[in-house]
Parts: sequence; C-alpha cells; structure tokens
Amino acid sequence: MKTKGWQKVFSFTFIQYVKTKSFIISTIIMALLVAAMFALVNILPVALSKNDDSGEIGSIDTIFNYERVYIVDETGVITDEGIAELFANGLKAERTDKSADDIVAQVAKTEGVQAAVVFTADKNTNGDIISYTQKTFYSPNGGNMASSLSAAMTEFFRNSNVKRLGIDPEAYAQSQIGINTRTIEAGQEELNVIAGMLHYIIPIIVSLVLFMLIFVYGNTIAQSIAIEKTSRVMELLLTSVRPLAVVIGKVLAMGLVSFAQFLLIVVVGAGSMAISAPFGIMGQIAPLLSNPELLAGGMANAAASGVDIGQFSIAQAVGGILEKFTPVNILLIVLTFIIGFLFYALLAALVGASVSRMEDLQAAMQPYSLIGVVGFFLAYYPIMFNAESLADGSSGTNSVQIFSYYFPISSPFSLPSAIILGQFDAVQGAVAVAILAVFTVLVAMLVSKVYEAIILHNGSRLKVGDILKLAKNK
Amino acid sequence: MAISVNNIVKKYGEYTAVNGLSFELKEPGVFALLGTNGAGKTTSIRIILGMLAADKGEVLWDGKPFLACDKPIGYLAEERGLYPKFKVMDQLMYFMTLKGMSPDAAKKSIDYWFERLEVTEHKNKRAEQLSKGNQQKIQLIAALAPNPELIILDEPLSGLDPVNAELFKGVIREEIKNNKYIIMSSHQMTTIEEFCRDIVILNHGEAVLQGNLNAIKKSYGRVKLTVKAEGDITGMAQQCGLTITEETPNGCSFNVQSEEQAHKLLNMIISSDIPLIKYELREPNLNELFIEKAGAKNEN
Repeated sequence: MKTKGWQKVFSFTFIQYVKTKSFIISTIIMALLVAAMFALVNILPVALSKNDDSGEIGSIDTIFNYERVYIVDETGVITDEGIAELFANGLKAERTDKSADDIVAQVAKTEGVQAAVVFTADKNTNGDIISYTQKTFYSPNGGNMASSLSAAMTEFFRNSNVKRLGIDPEAYAQSQIGINTRTIEAGQEELNVIAGMLHYIIPIIVSLVLFMLIFVYGNTIAQSIAIEKTSRVMELLLTSVRPLAVVIGKVLAMGLVSFAQFLLIVVVGAGSMAISAPFGIMGQIAPLLSNPELLAGGMANAAASGVDIGQFSIAQAVGGILEKFTPVNILLIVLTFIIGFLFYALLAALVGASVSRMEDLQAAMQPYSLIGVVGFFLAYYPIMFNAESLADGSSGTNSVQIFSYYFPISSPFSLPSAIILGQFDAVQGAVAVAILAVFTVLVAMLVSKVYEAIILHNGSRLKVGDILKLAKNK
Repeated sequence: MAISVNNIVKKYGEYTAVNGLSFELKEPGVFALLGTNGAGKTTSIRIILGMLAADKGEVLWDGKPFLACDKPIGYLAEERGLYPKFKVMDQLMYFMTLKGMSPDAAKKSIDYWFERLEVTEHKNKRAEQLSKGNQQKIQLIAALAPNPELIILDEPLSGLDPVNAELFKGVIREEIKNNKYIIMSSHQMTTIEEFCRDIVILNHGEAVLQGNLNAIKKSYGRVKLTVKAEGDITGMAQQCGLTITEETPNGCSFNVQSEEQAHKLLNMIISSDIPLIKYELREPNLNELFIEKAGAKNEN
C-alpha cells in the first residue's frame, strides 16, 4: 500500500516540530498577544468611557484659562451684548477692530496664553451668504485648549445667529434633532453601528489569521520536504516507506500543529474574554446577551426598559454573531480550515519535492506564493469596498466577496468569516466547502501521480510545466 | 533467499541510464556493482530498492516482485543524509520504527551498534555537531540496526580515515560471516577485491564485464609482468616483443601475451648477469580490469 507507515512519519514530524525552540517561543508569544488583544478589546471601551466621563480631558472649563480671546467678526452676526455675556460667563473675550492678519500676528508673538477667533461669511456671486467660516488661532502656549474653544465659539456663533434672525431658541433646538439615515439592500440583515464595524473588522482579522496558519505552515512543509530531499534523508526513508506515506504523514502532522494553534487562538481568546469580563464590556453586556427577547425587541424597546443604548448596540451585534455558531456552522468552519490546509499543504509539498538544492526553494515557491497571496487578497480586499454600505447598516456583500467564498484558492481564508457573520447560510457554505474539497482531491491526485517521480529527481529545478508533463505521461 | 535482477532498463528521455542489466545473488556474500561516475550504479541501486520504476525488466526476491519497504533491506547511500537539527538517537529510533521494529528492540540494536562503532558518546548530540566520519557511522547504524537480510552499501568507505575504514571493514566481514547478502558499490578497487565474490562493471549503463571475480581473473591468465633489476632491461624486453606499460621505483610493468614470453625475458636477464631484484607474473587485478573495461569504452 502506497501510504503504509504514514502514521510513523506523522508522529515523528509532529513531535520533532513541537519540540523546536522556535515553535515553543512563537506559540507562547502568540498566546500572550491573543490574550492581550482580546482583553484590550474587552476592557478598553469601558476604560475610555470612564475617562470621557471624568471631564479632565478636553473639558469646556479649560477655555477660561485663556488670558485673552480676540474676536474678529466680519459677518455682523455677533453683537456686543453677546461678547459681554461671554465675558460675564468667565471667558476673557474681546472684540477687536484690527484685521485678522494683524491680530493673528499679535497672538503668534505673545508669550501669554491667547487666541484669536475669526468669523467670515462666504458669499455667492449674487452676494448671498452661503456659509460661514470660523478660524481659531492660538498662541504657542495655548494649543491644548484650542479645540474646546473652537467648539464653544461655534455654539456661541450659532446662538448669536439664531437670536439675530429672531428664531425661538427652543424651536431651533427641536429642529436640530438628528435624523439617522440608513440605506439597506432589501433582503439583507440590518446592522447597527457596532455590528457594521464587526462585519468590517472580523473578515479582515479572520482572513489574516487563517492566511498565517494555512499559508505559513505550507511554507514549513515545503521547506521540511526540501531539507529531507536535499540532505538525502529521503533516500533512507524510501527504503522503509513509499514517498506518498512521507508526504501524507508530514502534511497531516503540520496540519495538526496548525489546527492546534488555531484552537489555541480560539481558547486563549475566549479565556481572556472570560477572565477580563468583570472589568470590561463583556461583563456589562453579559446580562443582555442572556436575554434574547430583549435583544430581539429592538433599540426603542430596550431604551424604554432603561437599558443603556450603547451597551445594547454591542450586545445586539455580539449576540447576532454568537447565534451563528450552530453545530453545522462550526463543522463547516472546521472543514474549511482542514480542507483548505490540505489544499495548500499538498501544493507546498509538491514544490518542496521539486527542488534539488535548498537555494532553489525560494524561486520554486514563487508560483505557490502567488496563488496564496492572490487567494488572500481576494478574501481581504473586497471587504474594503463594503465600508460604505456597512456604515449605512447593510450587511450586503459585493460580488467579488461572493466569488472569494466559492473560489478554492481564496475560500479557506474568506469562507469562515462569511459563515460567522451570516453572509452565507449552511447550504451555501456546504457548496463552497464541496468545491474546495473537489479541488483538493484534484491536487491530491496530481501529487500522488508525480510525487514519486519528482522526489528522486536531481538536477535542475522542475518547473510547473515539467510537473504537469510528468502527470500527463503517468 | 535470492535476489534476481533481470534485464532492467531505465531511460531519462533520450538518455539510457541502465541498459539490460542482469545479475543474481543466490547465496550470501558481497556482490560488487562497479562503474565510472554516471555509469548507472546509483540508478540500478534505486531500481533494486524500488525507489525508481524500471522501464523494462524486473527485480525479484525469491522469484517474486517486491517492494523494498516491505523487505528487510539496509541501505547506506552514497550521498549521506541525516536530519542536521535532530538528535542522533531520535532519528535512529525513527528510522527503526519505520522499519517496523518495536521501540525496545530498536533501542537495544542501536545501543549495540553505538558500542560497536564507538559512537555512544554522540547519541544525544544533533547530527550537525558530528564529524563527517561519525555521521557516516550513524548512517551505517541506520542501515544495519534493523538486522536486514540484504545490505546495499554505496561507497561505504569514502571519506574515512584508515582507522575508521578498518572498523567499517571489520563490520562488513562480520556481516558476511552472518550470511548477509551485500551489494557494494565503490571506486576503491582494493576494498572490492578484499570482499567481493562476484562483480559487474557498468559503463554507460551497460554491463561490460560480469561474473565471478576469480574466474574472470583466471580467464585472463597471468598476463601482468613486473620486473625490477639493477640494470637496463629495455633492450631485452624489446627482443622478447614486450613494451613497458609503466615504470615506477618498484620496477617496470609489461603486458605479456603468454607466460613463455615472460619466461624468455627472465632467462635473458639471468644470462646477462644483471642482478634481478623482483620478478612477478600475475593475473590482472580488479583495478586493471576496471580501467581496461570502463576506461577503454570511455575513450571510445
């Protein structure tokens, strides 16, 4: 039997690889990074919101530290009463008749903490005002409060204009209540802001991690086989096992290493989330996640129940993803990973076997690298084009993304996130996995046809055409 | 057990690497597979080992086709190969388990060979930390520790110092005593002559000389004459129809047509009162046969 003895190759390759220092160190570093990243994602939003609430950073009060704020009004909107009111409120504001350039030059030279705010009106050819412009110039020592001052002066200018036009300030405030607009493809899931962000970020991260696990380990397999061939260990092995047993044992061993690291990322990430939950956003949304009825009731219902709307948005987005982790979807994700790994690993094994000198490996890897990089970009790049529709709240996917889910060189990197995000249902996922499986079987057939011939080939490097010719001749 | 190689042919495109090679190992002992570089020795060995498929012909083990990985075969390849980064003991255990040995039996056998080849101190070192000679010993352990019936040794002594070469020769003698079938390929003709009963000399993929070494030598007869005298014997040699083929401090060498030709020269030297130091009439050695057969064809 051509594959007899693969188990021994498998166990030796696995044990020797996991014993290497580079593997141990890289695995520890990766676990630490994953733990830190998940903990940060959990804790950071809460920590930042606490800081925002403290009022210590960017507080409006800081603008009263300006020793003088010169106001140049070229619009005629601001009245002296208004400036007096500002002064009375504690802002040392002063109207100036100097030109904007002169007062800016003066502020630039001062050693004190000063600012100049210049209001101008922009007119069309008919002389009608079409917009106002406000510029806030600050002295070298006054930069840290400038954005707060600018915001306060915008508000002040708007109020002054409302008063000038004789509009009731309360009616104006009512008219300014925001209108959220959403443009959603009919039939697609409507996403809240957080879910839209997750639909953008998750495919990028998942495709990147899978590319690292699948493609990088493929490189390791190619290198390992090339070392065995070029160091002539292969000749010794072939007195005991057939070449196909060597390649199967090696591919499966490296596949297990890669899958173990994949699981490690999942387990460490989940563990880090669980441990940091009491200090982070997951702890805050946990009660909401355990209340599916509330999540399904929508934001208005949640608001009416006294739920924090920010937390509700996050819980709704996370809950939407968690509910996709059905047994069928998990099986599809695992199958995609395993079959995708085999697809790339078998190609890499073929490349590793085609060289007679280690120096040739890099050149021989170019077609393999090209396939991998094209696959990765097909999985990664189309997401960029979705940013706008995701911001609008539509979970729709573009046609290149759909193509990448079915195309075997990109589906190992793109399909898992499509399943996680519900962009593909179980049937579509199964079809995509089946297509990947068919192509993987074709690659396996090619490998079994030509591997025995090329593994003992010495001399010039075999090119893709040579390998295909060998397969044809067999 | 018997190994039969029957009319094997292997081509790489237009190039014929092996053309109709046949031989048989009917009883234990050493069989020599000889040839110049590129003559087809390694290709033949790979076909015997089942690594390469022959385009024609067959290799039989007890009359049946076989897979090398299913038979007890030990192989020391010409181009040595060990995993440079792995510990010697780990990789030997791996090779033995691939051969189907149990871990206990493998360890016992490996330990025996570590002692026998005087490399026990290196068992836990990485292969890259060993000298070339010691790496070669580890390779020999990989070939012999499974206690194979058939051993294929491709250039077993190349690169070894005289002490270690003697150690290897001792091991080969032991294996012969243990009734092993050995196929040896080497360019060191004295070593081959020391061990081999039957030979085949390949040139450009074809067998140009084949059979029992002693019988081959006998068939040539005593045609190599070496004479050392204290005077000039060139004129006498010419009178006997002999031409010097080589002149060294050890004397002059001649190819003779018949023993009478040599005796005639001897009588002339004795009659001439030139003191005779050395007179040797012998069969050609393997080195001379090799150069005659492989070299002549190369010149063509």
